[in-house]
Amino acid sequence: MKNYFFLLLFLCSFSLFGQEQDSTLVFKKRVLESVEVDFLMSYYKQDGIHSAVSGGSGMEELTDITPTIVVAVPLNDDDVLTVDMGISAYSSASSGNINPFDSATPSPWQASSGASAKDVLTTLVINYSHSSDDRNTIWNAHISGSVEYDYSSIGFGGGLTKLFNDKNTEVGIAANFYLDTWKPIYPKELQDFADNGNTLNGGIFDDFTITGNTNYNPTNFVFQPEKNRNSFALSFSFSQVLNKKTQLSIFADVLHQQGLLSTPYQRVYFADVSDSFINEFQLADDIERLPDSRFKLPIGARLNYYINEKFVFRTYYRFYTDNWGISSHTASVELPYKITDRFTIFPMYRFYTQSASKYFAPHEQHLSTDEFYTSDYDLSTFDAHQYGFGVNYTDIFTASKIWKFGIKNIDFRYNHYSRSDGLEANIVSFGIKFVLDK
Amino acid sequence: MKNIIILALILIALQSCNSVKEYEKEKINDPDMKLAARSSERFETNFQVYREAAAGANGGKTGGGCGCN
Repeated sequence: MKNYFFLLLFLCSFSLFGQEQDSTLVFKKRVLESVEVDFLMSYYKQDGIHSAVSGGSGMEELTDITPTIVVAVPLNDDDVLTVDMGISAYSSASSGNINPFDSATPSPWQASSGASAKDVLTTLVINYSHSSDDRNTIWNAHISGSVEYDYSSIGFGGGLTKLFNDKNTEVGIAANFYLDTWKPIYPKELQDFADNGNTLNGGIFDDFTITGNTNYNPTNFVFQPEKNRNSFALSFSFSQVLNKKTQLSIFADVLHQQGLLSTPYQRVYFADVSDSFINEFQLADDIERLPDSRFKLPIGARLNYYINEKFVFRTYYRFYTDNWGISSHTASVELPYKITDRFTIFPMYRFYTQSASKYFAPHEQHLSTDEFYTSDYDLSTFDAHQYGFGVNYTDIFTASKIWKFGIKNIDFRYNHYSRSDGLEANIVSFGIKFVLDK
Repeated sequence: MKNIIILALILIALQSCNSVKEYEKEKINDPDMKLAARSSERFETNFQVYREAAAGANGGKTGGGCGCN
C-alpha cells in the first residue's frame, strides 16, 4: 500500500510538472500573431539650381516613385521572417546631362533625353528574427541586395537586443556590411576625349563646334581605377522607460566606407583652366575626386512624452561628424493628435544644418592642382527646413476587411523640404498594412 | 571625452528611474509613443540620406546604394 502511495505521488508530480510546462506554452504570446502585409508608396519631386552633374550649376529636377511591399510571416511562436521588396523608378534632369549632346543645343538648364535620364533601382531585404521564450532576448540576421544601371549592392548583417528591468531597459548592438560595385559612366565629353587618345578627333567633337577655349584639353582626367565601395556600420542603441508617460532612446553608429566614394559622372570646373563650351554647355575639366575612405560618427536620441489622451509629443535630435570636415545637427518634433480612437493627425517639423566638406567648392573655384575636389552641393554648407503633416488610421481589431485581409493601419504623409541653397522638394508617402485572417 | 562623460552620467541617472510594471504601460504602449520612425517615414529618410551629408543614428539606412541622383 505504501509503495502504491509513493507511485501515485510520483505520477502526480510528473502530471503537475507536465501541466506547468503546458501552461507556460499556453501563455507564451506569439511574437507575430498572423501574416502582415505592408504596401508602401512614395512620390518625390525636387528642383534646384546646383546640379552636381554639371559642376554645381544647372537644373536638379528629379522625380521618383517607389512602390514597396513588406511581408512579415510568423514561422512559429518565436521566429519571424520578413521580406521587403521595392523599386525606385526615377527620372532625373541632371543625370540626363551626363550626355547633354543628344540635343542640338546642349544646356545645363534643360533636361536631356539621354539614356541616363531614367533608371530603376530594385531592392530586396530578407530578415529573420528570433525572440527568446521570456522575450528578453531578440536576435536578427538579414541579407539585402539592390541593383540599378550603374550600381549594385549586396549587404548582410545582424543584431542582438536585450531587455532588462521589467522590459523598461533595452540595449542593442548591430553590425551591417554593404559590398557595392560601380559600373562607372563618365561625362560624355571626357569619355569621348579619352576614347580618342586624348584628342578632339571623333565622338561629339566631330558633331559640334567648341567655343571659348577651342583647345579643350582636360589633362586631369583619368578613368577611375577603383570600382568597389564597401561600407561597414556598427550600431548601438539604448532605450529606457523613464516613467509611465515618458521614454527615451539613444543611438550611436560608427560607419566606415572605403573604395570609390566619389560619383564618376559629376563634373568639376577649375578656376585656373580656360573655359570651353558646346553651345551653352561648359565642357568638364575633370570629374569629382574624393578620398577613398570616410569615417562617420552619428549620435542620436528620441524622447517621447504622452501629454494626455489626445496628444503625444515626439522629439528627435542627432549630431553627426565625419573626417571629411562635415558636422551637422538634426532636430525634429511631431505632435500626434488623436481625433478619434482610430484616427490621428500629426503635424511635424524638422530642422537640419551642416557645415561644408573641406573638399567642396562652388562652380569654377577649385584649382587643377588640388588633390581632392567636388562641387556637389549635398556636401556644401546649408540649412534645411522640412514641414508637413500626416494622417494615421489604426484598428488593432482589423474590423475593415478586403477578402481575407483585415486593414490594421493606414498612413499618409506629406512634407515640403526647403534647402537654403535653393533646392526645393515635396514628398508624399502612403502605407497600408493588412493582417491575414487566421 | 566630454560627450562620453555626459552620456555616462545620463545612463547612471536613468538607472535611478522607477521600474514601470507591464500593467502600468498603457500610455507607453500607445502606437504614437514608439521609439522608432513610422514605416512610411522610410522614404523621407532615404531622400534625406541622399540630399544631406549626414546619415545614421535614426534606425534608417546607413550604407549601400549610391544615392547619387
